[in-house]
Amino acid sequence: MAYYFDELIVSEIRKKNEGVLRELYKTHYAMIVNLVCTNSGTEQEAKDIYQEAVLAFYERAQQANFILTCKIKTYLYAVCRRLWLKQLQAKKRFQGTLEETESFPGADEEALNAEEKEKQFADMKTALEGLGEPCRSIIEDFYIHDLSMETIREKFGYTNADNAKNQKYKCLQRLKKLFFDAYKDH
Amino acid sequence: MNTEQDLLDRYAKGTLSAQETAALEERMKQDPAFREQVEKHLSLINALRFYGERSRLLKTLDDAHQEIETPVKVVPLARPVGWKRYWMTAVAASVALISILGTLFMTRSLDTKQTAIYKELRRNVEQIKKSQKLMMEDMAEVKEKPKPSPEAYAGTGFLISSNGYVATSYHVIKESDSVIIENARFGRLKATIIHNDPANDVSILKIEQKLDDLAQPLPYTLSMTEANLAEDVYTLGYPREDIVFGEGSVSALTGFKQNPNAYQVSVPVNPGNSGGPLLNAKGDLVGVISGIETGTMGAAFAIKSTVLMDVIGQVTVDSVALPLTLPKQNTMKNSTRVQQVKRWKDFVFMVRVYKN
Repeated sequence: MAYYFDELIVSEIRKKNEGVLRELYKTHYAMIVNLVCTNSGTEQEAKDIYQEAVLAFYERAQQANFILTCKIKTYLYAVCRRLWLKQLQAKKRFQGTLEETESFPGADEEALNAEEKEKQFADMKTALEGLGEPCRSIIEDFYIHDLSMETIREKFGYTNADNAKNQKYKCLQRLKKLFFDAYKDH
Repeated sequence: MNTEQDLLDRYAKGTLSAQETAALEERMKQDPAFREQVEKHLSLINALRFYGERSRLLKTLDDAHQEIETPVKVVPLARPVGWKRYWMTAVAASVALISILGTLFMTRSLDTKQTAIYKELRRNVEQIKKSQKLMMEDMAEVKEKPKPSPEAYAGTGFLISSNGYVATSYHVIKESDSVIIENARFGRLKATIIHNDPANDVSILKIEQKLDDLAQPLPYTLSMTEANLAEDVYTLGYPREDIVFGEGSVSALTGFKQNPNAYQVSVPVNPGNSGGPLLNAKGDLVGVISGIETGTMGAAFAIKSTVLMDVIGQVTVDSVALPLTLPKQNTMKNSTRVQQVKRWKDFVFMVRVYKN
């Protein structure tokens, strides 16, 4: 089976084309709002799970062995449906029907994967918030924004590179503890 | 310390020379503690990078979202003038009329066609009484004195706590002015509704007067775990003025249209059974009977006891003054079913609902 247009989207996403990601996001949002809002959810909840699903798809598409087995629309719908069912179950607020109009094998697994990623993201966010300043900025600048140690030294006003490095080392140790402690709890 | 840290950072970034990489990997083979340290470092850095990447993407999505939420500009249409305006209004009105009538007609015809629908099992007493009254009038022309508030609906309820808390279905007691519960052992008792959960179709009532002969704890517990598929279950309820026993098994772990908060059970139930307890072989409560699927034979539904426990949790938060102490021990698990039912029927009530 081939989904020419969808495969075009995937190939652009693999090139990390964010414009395409934005358009993809906008295309199917209404469908998920409808799904969630007609099943005792709010628009905010719809937005949250939809973003989770879109990001899961984005990350999945980056993997080297990724093959499109269904329409992107189907993927997003099925994953959101699973995620929303789980949330409803957790909240014990299931009232009506959540019909399976479109699905593909592996939707459950994808939803689980998306949830796990979401958890990891949340854990790291909490750990970084617990770290406080200036540690958080130093860590983010060095490991995420790939700034050089020299730039960081200047930015934070350390007298020499060793001081800056020492500070970064201490911050990283603390982050390690915060992050893995939270991670163990799950 | 710093040189080692540098080494790890550069390894994570992939900027080590081939020679250095080989040396590091060799050392990892030799020294398991070091290896663990390296792996931990790598997984932390990966998590950090993942965090960075995802934050950036989330921002992109949020931007896209902003674009969705920007209201679309509405271009006003040029207003028609003179007779044209009235003509158009008339056309619009007739179109609306036709579509309203059409929809009414369609939905009514759809209603009768629909086969599988969920039916709540409260007993409509008023209707029975009315038809009975008509029959009486027909036969003997006797006119009953009109009561101030006739009994409207009946269902079932059961004790969940020795200090007078009763659980039943929400749909049984909704629209009620007053609720009276009744059984052979306790007679008629007035109850007040203290908590409603329409979403889960569960309500908690409290018996107003204190029950002196209920000083001892209840002999059964409310199951905190979900029942198993094919497990034997039975129910007690008031589809008639007498208590009725029904048995069967758990046929599915979800309810109507895959509702994860309910079971499907193959127990014979009828209007009036709503709110009745669903019990397992030990005599523990596993569910609350709530409805059937019409058009399907032997498909009854019961809200899971785990959901009931959740609802009870909300009640205790709501009213600290009246502690709802749940029974903790099952003392009838080794009894035969007949003996279990003998004890259980004292704790099952007919719920009579009155409304003006």
